[in-house]
Amino acid sequence: MKVGIPRALLYYRYGEFWKSFFKCLNVDFIISPPTNKKILDQGVKYVSSEVCLPVKIICGHLDWLKNKATHLFLPRFVELNNGLYTCPKMIGIVDIARFHFQNYFQIISPKIKNNFYWTHFKLGLKLTKNPLKVKNAIDNAQKYLNSYPKLKANGAPKILLLSHFYNIYDYYISQPIIETFKNQGFTIITKEHLDNKRLNSTKGFAKNIRWVYERELYNAFYYFLPQVQGVCNIISFGCGPDSLISEVMLNEAHIQNKPFLQLIIDEHTSATGLITRIEAFCEIIKKRLDNNVSSIIL
Amino acid sequence: MKVAFPYLGYDTIALKKFVELLGAESCLGPPLTARTLSLGTKYSPELICLPFKITLGNFIEALEAGADTLLMAAGARKCRFGYYHYLQENILKKIDNRHCFYAISQYTPYEFFFKKMPQIFGVTPQKVIYATWLLLHYSALIDYFRKLIRLTRAYNFYDAQKKELEALRIIENVSSFKEVQKAKKELRKIFSPIINTSNEIIRIGLVGEIYLMLEPFANYEIEKELGKLGVLVVSKRSLYRHLKHLLKLDLFDLRTISNAYKYLKDSPGGEAIKTVGEAHIFAKKNIDGIIHIYPFTCMPENIAYEALQKLARDYEIPILSISIDEHTSKTGLLTRLEAFVEVVKRKKFKG
Repeated sequence: MKVGIPRALLYYRYGEFWKSFFKCLNVDFIISPPTNKKILDQGVKYVSSEVCLPVKIICGHLDWLKNKATHLFLPRFVELNNGLYTCPKMIGIVDIARFHFQNYFQIISPKIKNNFYWTHFKLGLKLTKNPLKVKNAIDNAQKYLNSYPKLKANGAPKILLLSHFYNIYDYYISQPIIETFKNQGFTIITKEHLDNKRLNSTKGFAKNIRWVYERELYNAFYYFLPQVQGVCNIISFGCGPDSLISEVMLNEAHIQNKPFLQLIIDEHTSATGLITRIEAFCEIIKKRLDNNVSSIIL
Repeated sequence: MKVAFPYLGYDTIALKKFVELLGAESCLGPPLTARTLSLGTKYSPELICLPFKITLGNFIEALEAGADTLLMAAGARKCRFGYYHYLQENILKKIDNRHCFYAISQYTPYEFFFKKMPQIFGVTPQKVIYATWLLLHYSALIDYFRKLIRLTRAYNFYDAQKKELEALRIIENVSSFKEVQKAKKELRKIFSPIINTSNEIIRIGLVGEIYLMLEPFANYEIEKELGKLGVLVVSKRSLYRHLKHLLKLDLFDLRTISNAYKYLKDSPGGEAIKTVGEAHIFAKKNIDGIIHIYPFTCMPENIAYEALQKLARDYEIPILSISIDEHTSKTGLLTRLEAFVEVVKRKKFKG
């Protein structure tokens, strides 16, 4: 038995947890390599052209895994803490995988509906008979869920890079963006720099948002907005939740007179175009800092 | 009080009567035109789906016509639709700040009957319940009318056009439960002479997102165009069924969901599960083809699209998926429909 885990979508959030979990249970697993051009090109073939980039990427990863693993681990995240939904595409991705890759491997897709712990416990019991071992494995793995990078304080101007984890930590997508900001001398803040309690707070507009990752994005935006010099929001084309919440954030940023850059990406986006836009955006922030002008409206 | 709500195809008549029953005047603005869409697109976010743009344009035109109370369905879940009203409220406030905007949650019947509606219209909860009960019957009448007109269009399109006006006049004059029953009989009388049941007709099932299916402006009058091509359109979606679904009275729901289970193990939100379930039922019932319409970048329907592709392979049934946005041209759509109908015809009559 060899379990394949695609390095895409939810891997960037729960990947370390799953790695540790399977290692403790002595399950052999294989993780697809970081996204590259070939994987993306394969993925595009499987789904309709309208879905968002991360879904196309995960299909490419599944394609890579298809002859290398006997089982596929792809949990179905329906609801997370207190009935917050993930997103239609994350719920449906398991079905899409079933349509295309049913013949290649057996799909293990536990359904997570407000029961992250128990779902993994039940899954563990199928793999080993010893419940104590399963409990230990989950407890060991859990430390990876709540680890956050510490924010280094220096004098450099700060930029808030707002996007889903599967966009930011997939370096194939985000590398040109992050590199350009760093080259321009900015410190990048992401939502992972905020603690769990603040991320899930229900203050203000956040209580209306029922998508769990969007709520986190909005809370991070709301908390960091006064501290940063500009906000950059990466949206994958066709992302439904982002199209709404980004608009709300854009309005808020306008009211507070903060520069706000929306970058919409898909598989046709060229890195050069992105870099030019980001450089122009950085120039605006720098000019504002130099002149202390707060009346430039973006 | 002049109340406006978005147009909803033929079912607008039922909703209008509902509002008038609660003691308010309805002021919906002019019928939907290209101007509505361009107004809506102008003020909408870039990546939002089509129903948002049309309903927003609709509200702007209603405000121009003098409406002062806007009603919008809400209910935040997995689909974007539940969040429309937050943005629309903000956008409309910038355009005209003399109106009240109310979001009516679909999934909380108790609040609807006892808090929200009595508060907006200043009536007792009993009146709201009575009005909703009548709304259910009005929409049932319209559902029946749509069934008849689809059948008539398939056999004699130009006759259907004439009779449609006559039938709509009857429906508009209905104002009580007794008259609904009477109108049903009259409708049957109007449409009966041209209904014959020969097998030489092709049947195409229509599935997709509910607003696009109900509002002819949004779907470029797809039902009419298919009728012109001599196709009998079969569709299970209507305001009547949706209301029954919300009030948990629809038994057909269970059948749909159990049929969808083979393709979607869990609802991805919106109407995706119904789309797939209905398509599966159509495929089993030997319907000749399925047309799936949805707004461009609609999240749940995109998942349904993948499921329908699989269903098409499993049952060898032709499926045409059409995603619609403000740039869709009617001519292009017609060409696709004609080609699809040809495919279906050839498949059916090849022997």
